[in-house]
Amino acid sequence: MKTVRSMVLVSNDPGSLARGANEVFAALQTELSRLGIQEEISLTTVSDVGRSDALPLVIIYPEATIYGPVKPDDVRYLVEEHLYKGRVASTLVASTKELTGRITWLQARQGTLPAETRIVLERAGLIDPEDINDYILHDGYSALGKVLIEMKPEEVIAEIEASGLKGRGGAGFPTGTKWKYVAKTRANKKYVICNADESEPGTFKDRLVLEGDPHGVIEAMIIAGYAVGADEGYLYIRGEYGLAQERVRKAIAQAEELGFLGENIFGSNFSFKLHIHSGAGAYICGEETALIESIEGKRGEPRSRPPYPTTNGLWDMPTLVNNVETLANIPAILRHGAKWYRSFGTPASPGTKVYTILGNVNITGLIEVPMGITLREVINIYAKGMKGNSSFKMAQTGGSSGSIIPAALQDTPMDFESFNKAGVSLGSGALLICNEDTCVVDLAKVLLIFFKNESCGKCNPCRIGNERAYQILANVSEGTATLHDLEDLDKISQFLYEMSNCGLGQTAATPIRDILKYFRAEVEAHIRLKVCPAGTCPMSGRKY
Amino acid sequence: MRMVTVTIDDKKFEVAEGTTVLRAAESSGIQIPTLCDHKSLAPYGGCRLCLVEVEGMRTLQPSCTMPVSQNMVVHTNTPKVKEARKFVLTLIFSERNHFCMYCQVSNGDCELQNSAYAEGMTHWPLQPNFTPYPLDATHPFYVLDNNRCILCRRCVRACAELVGNFTLGIEERGSNSVLIADLGTPLGESTCVSCGTCTQVCPTGALIDRQSAYLGRAKDSIHTKSICTQCSLGCGIDVIHRDNVVSRVEGDWDAPVNAGILCKMGRFVPLAEKRERLTTPLVKKGDALKAATYKEAVEAASPALKAGVAAFVSSTLPAEALYSFKKVFADGIKDSQVMTLDESAYTQHLGDFLSASKKPYEGLLSDLNGADCVVAVRADLSNTHQVAGFMVKRALPLGMKLVSIDDDSSKFAEYADEKIDPKGKLADAVAGLKSSKALESSTKIVFVLGKSADLDAATAKALFSLAEYFTKAGKSVKIISLKGEANAYTAYLFQMDGKVDLKKSKAAFVVLGEEEPSQKLIKDLESVPFLVVQAAYASALTARADVVLPAPIWSEMEGHYINLEGKVQTAVKAIQPPE
Repeated sequence: MKTVRSMVLVSNDPGSLARGANEVFAALQTELSRLGIQEEISLTTVSDVGRSDALPLVIIYPEATIYGPVKPDDVRYLVEEHLYKGRVASTLVASTKELTGRITWLQARQGTLPAETRIVLERAGLIDPEDINDYILHDGYSALGKVLIEMKPEEVIAEIEASGLKGRGGAGFPTGTKWKYVAKTRANKKYVICNADESEPGTFKDRLVLEGDPHGVIEAMIIAGYAVGADEGYLYIRGEYGLAQERVRKAIAQAEELGFLGENIFGSNFSFKLHIHSGAGAYICGEETALIESIEGKRGEPRSRPPYPTTNGLWDMPTLVNNVETLANIPAILRHGAKWYRSFGTPASPGTKVYTILGNVNITGLIEVPMGITLREVINIYAKGMKGNSSFKMAQTGGSSGSIIPAALQDTPMDFESFNKAGVSLGSGALLICNEDTCVVDLAKVLLIFFKNESCGKCNPCRIGNERAYQILANVSEGTATLHDLEDLDKISQFLYEMSNCGLGQTAATPIRDILKYFRAEVEAHIRLKVCPAGTCPMSGRKY
Repeated sequence: MRMVTVTIDDKKFEVAEGTTVLRAAESSGIQIPTLCDHKSLAPYGGCRLCLVEVEGMRTLQPSCTMPVSQNMVVHTNTPKVKEARKFVLTLIFSERNHFCMYCQVSNGDCELQNSAYAEGMTHWPLQPNFTPYPLDATHPFYVLDNNRCILCRRCVRACAELVGNFTLGIEERGSNSVLIADLGTPLGESTCVSCGTCTQVCPTGALIDRQSAYLGRAKDSIHTKSICTQCSLGCGIDVIHRDNVVSRVEGDWDAPVNAGILCKMGRFVPLAEKRERLTTPLVKKGDALKAATYKEAVEAASPALKAGVAAFVSSTLPAEALYSFKKVFADGIKDSQVMTLDESAYTQHLGDFLSASKKPYEGLLSDLNGADCVVAVRADLSNTHQVAGFMVKRALPLGMKLVSIDDDSSKFAEYADEKIDPKGKLADAVAGLKSSKALESSTKIVFVLGKSADLDAATAKALFSLAEYFTKAGKSVKIISLKGEANAYTAYLFQMDGKVDLKKSKAAFVVLGEEEPSQKLIKDLESVPFLVVQAAYASALTARADVVLPAPIWSEMEGHYINLEGKVQTAVKAIQPPE
């Protein structure tokens, strides 16, 4: 390996690209060769900068200086100052206050910010996602090698089971158990599907995994294929994730070239093929059976279960469907062992969880922290408190279909068991934090607009129930509802859960149920007093 | 088959593994209300009316899709289930315009209304806010009213699963879902083949056929199970009539041939008859035909029918009619010649096929269901024998291959994986199939032979050597001959498929039945001095006949038919002929 004296990273997340990151990169190239120092300095790109205020960023190691926003015209000055003359180009340095973004390794270096624990995102931001060699240098494909050469499929599954890994797509089903179901089903053909149709509003963890470390997911899928006996896999990537698709496509091509994908991987008799399938903008296709229908070329409508995909999945064959984040845990577990993995998180929910923080807090963005930390910790430590010293009113976890968590529950440890016990759900990992200016009726109304449009329309409770619930809430916010309407709302939310065909319908009612449970007084104020306590609803006279 | 023990509503019994809870309950006499379920369609689980409580399950489960498992305990009538049913109906009624008093199918024929009555509903508490949809009345036979639609998708599934036409579908999603044809084309301009299966499965008034509108509800009418006599398939039909008027024809779900589906010819065309019906005998007096009694008609006709009569009969008539016709003319009147109207277009070489084959290859229609390759030889199944075409088309998405040997005029060839234009050399085209990729990769091959003059002895030879070749290669080969009209096979068995030399004939007796005479027939008969026509409808031929006798039509006749498989079926008389 060649040694260099400096490493220059240019951020290339979509935000940076939109602000001319590619031009900056090109300018850097020109400038380095003009000065004849291109051999001494490594120039590469980096994703997951975790901040949006100073894009595009140029980060220079070993000094770990962050410049931003950098324009192509600044490049000459930057290179001459920092790389040629060896002093900080002070006018371009990103403001220190903004340095509280989450460029993890940097934070750990400077020691000024709470450390995260990164397993899923351990390489995202560190390596060049478009270069397989960089991935291999960071332990990439070593888990696959170990699995194919040293382990039997049963041993792989046993290791995953022992790690206690649970599905990170929202439901929290034990991953090892799912793998075992698929492995024990006898069939000539099996499939592995990676569900990257991440469409819960506010959730973007899978995108950053795919954009920052596409090979991690590919490696995990190959391992999963080996463990369950599948020789073909599909990555169903949300249609809006153009960059993720492009990077995964490149990654697959590189892996095929180096023989990690294809026939007889590592000289074993195991072969694996991988395809990318782009979603077309339907939320429901994130539901695993709707996703399978969509790959088959049909209208994305969830199937009736049973039979489950583990026995009758894609093209009626046993199919393993795992979320991106779940898969991204696999190589690390197999490299370090289940015991190591269990040292993170809680005994019942080991490992880490990636959260996306949004809402009325000082810092929004992505964190990966051990399972079991509390909402209060997230808000106060990672999000640096509520915006403008407002007070925390509630949080919604897990995107639109998640629970609404009142302030009273903010000290509940965030892991599957504690949340289940408290009667709320963890969901996909989006944390929408709201302050006292948020009206619960308004929030629920927005969520129901989403559901009534995104329901597939197959089953009556979900298709009509969401429409009716929206209508009632609209009436509440206009001040035309009656208390009797709340009874109907209660009934709709109860029956939506009881009667719907798939997870979407069953969880669509969660926000309604939760606001009626925790914020009934506020909802009733809309009806009894014709007042919106938060001052948001139309009847309070405030215009949108 | 493995049996499992289930307990439904405290009734413990055994059913085969894989049965759905709904069917298991039905088998033991427990009724569960349904809307989207239909016994001829795959379970769907959309309406959620059939939800039941299954012990150990977190939520209510749809009984229509839930397979039974060992020691499953199900409750179909708990307060929770009943409340859930009412809630589903409440939601459906609140979705669109379901005001029964303005609907054609209400008070008996509407499954939605019946379900609501069964659950004791008097009103629905949720406020509706539907947006009206425009009525699609562009189709000649039926009307699509989305305002009455409950989106159960029975029609969509029937169009795909039973007919293989995929015309109907759902546009948009969520609360914007709406039933459309193709990509939103008006029904009348869509790819619809007017088979009407959708109207037969629609549980509400969303898809209703025009002809039966306000002619009485199906539940108040008489249902006569009979067979369709429009072609040689012999599909089972359910003739729905009241006060001697047929209001509707529906497919018989229990019929062995078609299992419920019909085509346009069987369902709609016979009822859309616009021709003038003949009700009394007519006798030519001077230049004009005058109404007469049967006695007068017979007196006028009999002198000319003493000898040398050319007798034509429609092979759409029952076996009894064909037999008496043959008896009277071939055996009773000297020098007479008897033949069918279609001049044996389908059957003239049937003898060659049958004698050459010694029958090992003769297939049944049910062979189409399991076949993985169908070869249509001069058989345009989009034009005739359409139900057989549906059986092929619905299997195409499941991987069946279709090879068509026909010229460009065949619409059915559009669905083919391999299209071969014989260009007049049919025998060569058939022999050339030896190198066909579709046939090579298949294990169950069915040939369907249609109507054609060039389906000759050479073709028969080529076909049988091909069948032998593939049988030797370990494939199953079946041959189905379409045979033409409803009773063409019977006519063949009665040896009524020869050629007639009209030059020798002094008179002609033509039994048209319901058929419209062909231009060729009218021209051929011009040279015959005396013409007797027995027909149900006035036509160019009856106009120039010397004596015209009335005839009953399909719904007014009783008799036997032998379909193309050799199955003997009975047509049942539903109504009285007009006086």
